[in-house]
Amino acid sequence: MTTSADHAPVSVDSGRLRLDAATEAGGALLGMRCLDCGICLFGQAVFCQACCSSRLEGVDLGYTGVLYSYTIVRVPPDGWPGPVPYVLGEVELAEGPHILAEVIDIPENLLRIGLEVQLALRPVQSGESGPVRMVYKWKPVEPISGATREE
Amino acid sequence: MVQFKPAREVVVAGVGLHPFGRFRGKDLATLARDAVLEALRDCGIRWVDIPVAYFGHVYYHGMSVGETALASLGLTGIPIVNVENACSSGSTAFWQAYWGIASGVYDLALAFGAEKVPGGPVTVTAADSPERFIGGDHMMAGYALRMRRYMEETGAPPSALAQVSVKARQNAALNPYAHRKETFTVEDVLASRPIADPLTLYQCCPTSEGSAAAVLCARESLARYGLDENRAINVVAATLTSGNYNGRGSDHSAFSPYRTEPAAIAAYEMSGLGPEDVDLVQVHDAATIGELQQIEALQLTPKGDAWRATLEGRTSLTGDIPVNTDGGLLAMGHPFGATGIRMVHETVSQLRGEAGPRQVEGARVGLAQCSGAGDVTTVHILTR
Repeated sequence: MTTSADHAPVSVDSGRLRLDAATEAGGALLGMRCLDCGICLFGQAVFCQACCSSRLEGVDLGYTGVLYSYTIVRVPPDGWPGPVPYVLGEVELAEGPHILAEVIDIPENLLRIGLEVQLALRPVQSGESGPVRMVYKWKPVEPISGATREE
Repeated sequence: MVQFKPAREVVVAGVGLHPFGRFRGKDLATLARDAVLEALRDCGIRWVDIPVAYFGHVYYHGMSVGETALASLGLTGIPIVNVENACSSGSTAFWQAYWGIASGVYDLALAFGAEKVPGGPVTVTAADSPERFIGGDHMMAGYALRMRRYMEETGAPPSALAQVSVKARQNAALNPYAHRKETFTVEDVLASRPIADPLTLYQCCPTSEGSAAAVLCARESLARYGLDENRAINVVAATLTSGNYNGRGSDHSAFSPYRTEPAAIAAYEMSGLGPEDVDLVQVHDAATIGELQQIEALQLTPKGDAWRATLEGRTSLTGDIPVNTDGGLLAMGHPFGATGIRMVHETVSQLRGEAGPRQVEGARVGLAQCSGAGDVTTVHILTR
C-alpha cells in the first residue's frame, strides 16, 4: 500500500479520530465530556447520553488504555479489509469509555486481559481500488520481541 | 421506571410455528402467513375477527411485508404494523399486541414474525459504516469479548460453556421444528470451527429462516369469540427496555448484558412473581455465553453461578430451572423476527401440557426473555 502527501488518507471517522501530526500518535481519539454530570463518551454527541444535558465540551481522549477483553476473529464480517484472523480488542480508557479496535504488533499467545496498550494509526484500503482511510488501532505500550509488523 | 398497569387481563389464545431452517423456495410473506394460519387454527378464531396485527422482521424484503403476508388471507382493512427492533422484533410485536389489548383498545390482536437471515457473521451497522474499516461490528465477536471476560471473572471452564450447546441440542432432538436436531458432545463443541476465540461454531446460533405467530385476547372476551378458556394462557408481565449509558459505551462485561435486569425487575413487579416462582425459561442464547449471562441477569442463579448450574444439569429439561426447553436460538435457529414469538409458542405449549417429549412436569409459570441490538430487552411472563 502506498500513500503520497497528495493523497494522504483521511480519518476513518472524523467524529472519532482527528489526524494531527503534532500529537505523539499522529492523531487523537475524540470524545465529549458532560459539564453537568461529568461523564465522558467516545465520539460526537449533542446531548449527554447519561443525563441528557446539552452542556458538553469536546475533549481529546487519552491515547493509552488497558485491554479489557479481546477475541481473535477467524471468520470476519462482510467488508473487513484486513488480513484474517485479526485480533479485536476492547480497551478501557481512564476517562471511562471502552473502545473496540484491532490490536496489532503482538503474538496471540502474549495477549492478556490487563495488557497496557496505546493508540496506533494505520492506513487501510477497502478492497483493491477502494478508498484508503486512516484507522485507529491498539498496540502494546512496551514493544514485544518477536512481534511482526502489521504493515 | 414507568409503572406498568394493564387495564385488564390478557391471554394467549392460539400459537403457530413454522419449522426453522432453510426454505429457499419460499418467500418471506408466505413463510409469515403459514405461521399465522397455524395460530388461527390452534384457537379456532376466524381471520375476519382479528382487529389489529403486528409483524416483526428485520432484513429488507420490500416494503410493508406484514400487509403482503396477510393480504393472502383477505383484505379486512385492519391496522397492520411492521415492527423492527433487531433480534427482539418478534417479542416487540408481541409486546405491542399485549398492550393493545391490556390498554382496552382491542379485544384481540395478532402478533407474528418471520425472517430469512442471510448466511455469515451478522453485523448491525450499514454497509458503508466506518465500522467496516475498524472491525468492531461483528455480533459473535461481541459475544466472544463477553465470554472471555466472564470466564476470567468467574473461573468458568470452556466445558461449562460448551455444555450449554450440548443441552440445547438434546432439547432440540425432541423438537421437530428445530433447525439443528443432531446431538453432540462437549468435545465436539470445543473442536468445532473457531469463529471468534473462544467461541466455536457450535456455540453460535445458526442464521435461519422461519416464522411464528400468536393470537392474544382479553380474558373477558374469550367467550364472545368462542375461544377455549382451558387452553388460554395468561400473560402476567410484558416489559420492553432499551439501554442506559453507563460511561463505557462498548461494554462487553461479565454481568448484566444488554441491561436485562431492568426489564426483568419490572416484569417481576408487574406480575407479583419472583425468580423463585419461575418453572421454565426461554432466554436469548445467540451464543452459549448469552444463556449464562441472561439467566443470571434474570436472577435465576446468583451472579457468576450459571455455569455451575449448567454443569450440574439444573438447566436441563429435568432440572429445577429448565432453560431453552425447545433448543433455544442455539438449536432452533434464529430468524430474528420470529424468535421472540417462538419463545412464546414454546412457553404456551409447555404451560398447556402440550410439549410432548419436552414436557416440563407441572409447569405453571414460564418466562421468555429476548435481547436485541440497541440494548433492547423484552421480558414476558406467562402463567396457567
